[in-house]
Amino acid sequence: MMTSHEKRILIVDDDPDIANLYKLSLEREGFVVDAFNDPLLVLSNYRVGIYDLLLIDIKMPQMNGFELYHKLRNLGDNSKVCFITAFEEFNKQFRELFPDLKEKACFLRKPIELHYLNRVVKSELGYN
Amino acid sequence: LTRLGEGDELALPITEVIRNQKAVETLFIEMVKAAEQEILLIFPTANSFLREERLGIIHLLRYGAIERSIDIKILTPTDGEVQKIIQDIVEETRKLSKKNFHIRSVGVTYEETTVSTVTIIIVDKKTSLAIEKIDDSKENFIDAIGLATYSNSKPTVSSYVSIFEILWNQTKLYEELRNHDKMQQEFINIAAHELRTPAQSILGYAELAKSDPQYMEKDGQSFLEVIYRNAFRIHKLTKDILDVTRIEGHTLNLDKIRFNLNDLIKSLVYDKQPKLVADSSNNKVEVVYRLLEDREVGDVENNVDTVFVQADRDRIAQVISNLLDNAFKFTHQGLVSIGVSIKENKQGQEGENQNEVVVSIEDSGSGIDPEIFPRLFTKFSSKSFSGTGLGLYISKSIIEAHGGKIWAKNNNEQNKPGATFSFTLPLAAT
Repeated sequence: MMTSHEKRILIVDDDPDIANLYKLSLEREGFVVDAFNDPLLVLSNYRVGIYDLLLIDIKMPQMNGFELYHKLRNLGDNSKVCFITAFEEFNKQFRELFPDLKEKACFLRKPIELHYLNRVVKSELGYN
Repeated sequence: LTRLGEGDELALPITEVIRNQKAVETLFIEMVKAAEQEILLIFPTANSFLREERLGIIHLLRYGAIERSIDIKILTPTDGEVQKIIQDIVEETRKLSKKNFHIRSVGVTYEETTVSTVTIIIVDKKTSLAIEKIDDSKENFIDAIGLATYSNSKPTVSSYVSIFEILWNQTKLYEELRNHDKMQQEFINIAAHELRTPAQSILGYAELAKSDPQYMEKDGQSFLEVIYRNAFRIHKLTKDILDVTRIEGHTLNLDKIRFNLNDLIKSLVYDKQPKLVADSSNNKVEVVYRLLEDREVGDVENNVDTVFVQADRDRIAQVISNLLDNAFKFTHQGLVSIGVSIKENKQGQEGENQNEVVVSIEDSGSGIDPEIFPRLFTKFSSKSFSGTGLGLYISKSIIEAHGGKIWAKNNNEQNKPGATFSFTLPLAAT
């Protein structure tokens, strides 16, 4: 087993079934996972710097995933991020909001197979 | 050169070619100034629009529309600069609630060969001026133009009017087509999102369960519930998307029969009861069926009232069922009541029976979210997690296809919570 238990991941998805699914799958890999369904709740409880990776849904009520990430970055957070969405089109808006991130952004498309999700998360966190 | 102004009506009709560019410019401005009712204008390129803007023509047109109430219609290709000028005029006239300034534009410059390379102006459907564009790169109106043809002869002017009208209507069709394409694309994007989201849970929880028998032992039941719930969501969405496709393709066929609406409502309310009891979140909701005003009917056999309609029974059942489900979804405690009343209208012109039945479903739930209210009956306007956002759009289409109306309101009287959804159907002839 890898030393992944050191790493902490935040999941934000307004669909509770999906947030819980990703949480179960990543916990099984040894990560510590916090899952939220409400982006506003994330913002009000956020502690800068405690997460190694943010896994954020794009389409959510009240605040979309890009806006949430934008605000987290304004708080000074530098965690790695993966956006995950069931949408076809999202790149344009992302490029406009984060012109500096366009090369490095990690995008995942729902539905995603869990073994693939686990692999991408590990590779983003620098595991082989 | 013809003098414009008084006595013009009496002058002999002429069509003449003008070679002097300066004279063309003067005549052009004079014609705009002399207009009394209507100016039709076609520009061949975005540049020609801008040249004439510099010449003051656009300013004169704006003045004519605002101060003299002249109808102005302009057809022009656009670029960013033209778009901005157009936007400003449209804004200004809208603020002044003037409805007589119209511009239709195609996003790109016409290909030189496909549409005119002349500027055409038609004033009051009485005079026309067609000005050749020789060099589109020139800044100045005079440097850019060649010969011009002026006419106040009816056959010539009417021909230009028909050319204008054909292009005008064609541009409108083009705009509609482009909007339709855009909406179609948006529909596909959202539908894809709504189908993939439950697919994620079905695939994911099945993958988890398969990967480790411990999951099945510990969480098997809850996994199955998630899978079932999301499979049902896909099933419902698939049905709804098919309905939307039928509605928009105008292939929603109604199989109209004469039936008693009361019987249908009673059976629907009866069917919903066990589900309500089974769903723990709704066990404090009572359903009441009020028949014709205030008479409460709990017992099927007591009912002798009949409300006959000529309608598609399954489709009407779909609407009522959808409205009841919505009411239950947003009412966790309290009352959902469905009532039927008759609205007597005046006899129609052909003497047919125009009386209507009004079905109202009132709940004591959380009411309609103000953010959603204005687009309640449009596609994908749900804030509810379990909704497809298509139910009310489909219901509206079904009711309107029957010649009825559907509407919603929040029950704000006396601080009564909840919402009421109502629809009408024409009564069947007796």
